[in-house]
Amino acid sequence: MLPMPEPVAESATDLPELNPVIHGKLRLALLSLLSTVEEAEFTWLRAKTNSTDGNLGAQLLKLEEAGYVAVEKKFVLRKPQTLYRMTQAGRQALTDYVQALKQLLGAAINV
Amino acid sequence: MTTNAQEQELKDRLSLIEAMIAEGRQTTESWGWTFVLWGVAYYVAIAWAYWGNPAIAWPVTMVTAGLITALIAMRRSEGHPGTSLGRSMWAVWISLGISLFLFGICSGFSGHADQNVVVAVIATMLGMANATSSLTLRWKPQFACAVVWWAAAVVSLFGTVTQSTIGFLVAIFLCQIVFGSYMMISEAREKKGSERNSGAAHA
Repeated sequence: MLPMPEPVAESATDLPELNPVIHGKLRLALLSLLSTVEEAEFTWLRAKTNSTDGNLGAQLLKLEEAGYVAVEKKFVLRKPQTLYRMTQAGRQALTDYVQALKQLLGAAINV
Repeated sequence: MTTNAQEQELKDRLSLIEAMIAEGRQTTESWGWTFVLWGVAYYVAIAWAYWGNPAIAWPVTMVTAGLITALIAMRRSEGHPGTSLGRSMWAVWISLGISLFLFGICSGFSGHADQNVVVAVIATMLGMANATSSLTLRWKPQFACAVVWWAAAVVSLFGTVTQSTIGFLVAIFLCQIVFGSYMMISEAREKKGSERNSGAAHA
């Protein structure tokens, strides 16, 4: 289930809407982190974001459901390993989000 | 129009993206120890070949150093994600390792090993690997290492056997021991700085 959109942009028609899936703080942090690496383990993402297992798992699931993140589960030396990587759709969505953010900030500064 | 609070929230999001991208990129640089380790390995091999058994000194030392490097690297990279930059650096140095190993083994056993030429080839290859790393990472100090290696190659080709040996020993000291120690200090400083600046990103 996708999260409720957070009220960020005004209804002005010329201003872009921010993607609600990415706008959540932890989800945005996760996508930004994943944009710098080829793939990352759950434990690395948890350490970098200082989040709890439950919250991190829930937010990653939302990103996975949106098609922004792909998951691979495997065993390395009999230890379970969950690897996450950003998909092409996720990269495009993050780029669009940053563009929209800059446009909104530009509009705010020009008020 | 957005209110001040909303504007601040948007700015916070932009800062969060920048902070996380910087955090993600801080995962690959911890290789100073390999330079020091290989510098020590070269010295051990040279000393062993000079005072001990020249036939086995280089192969045994190089294989041992390779195994130690692989073991430590595997343990250190556990849980750390791979980056394209990290993979390209790995490709450069692993290719160099294989080339040097093949060249060293074959030139030794074929009987075509002329010390001046062998040192020149090894120094040229090490210069190329350092230059490639330096240009890819845009890191000038490493290019100085490449220049030192190339200079050692030229000295080896035009100089006597003694001059070739001295050039090689000096290049190992500067480009492996000194540069490796400098890298380790820089990495430790960077790590300290990132620990101070690292922030949380709770939902």
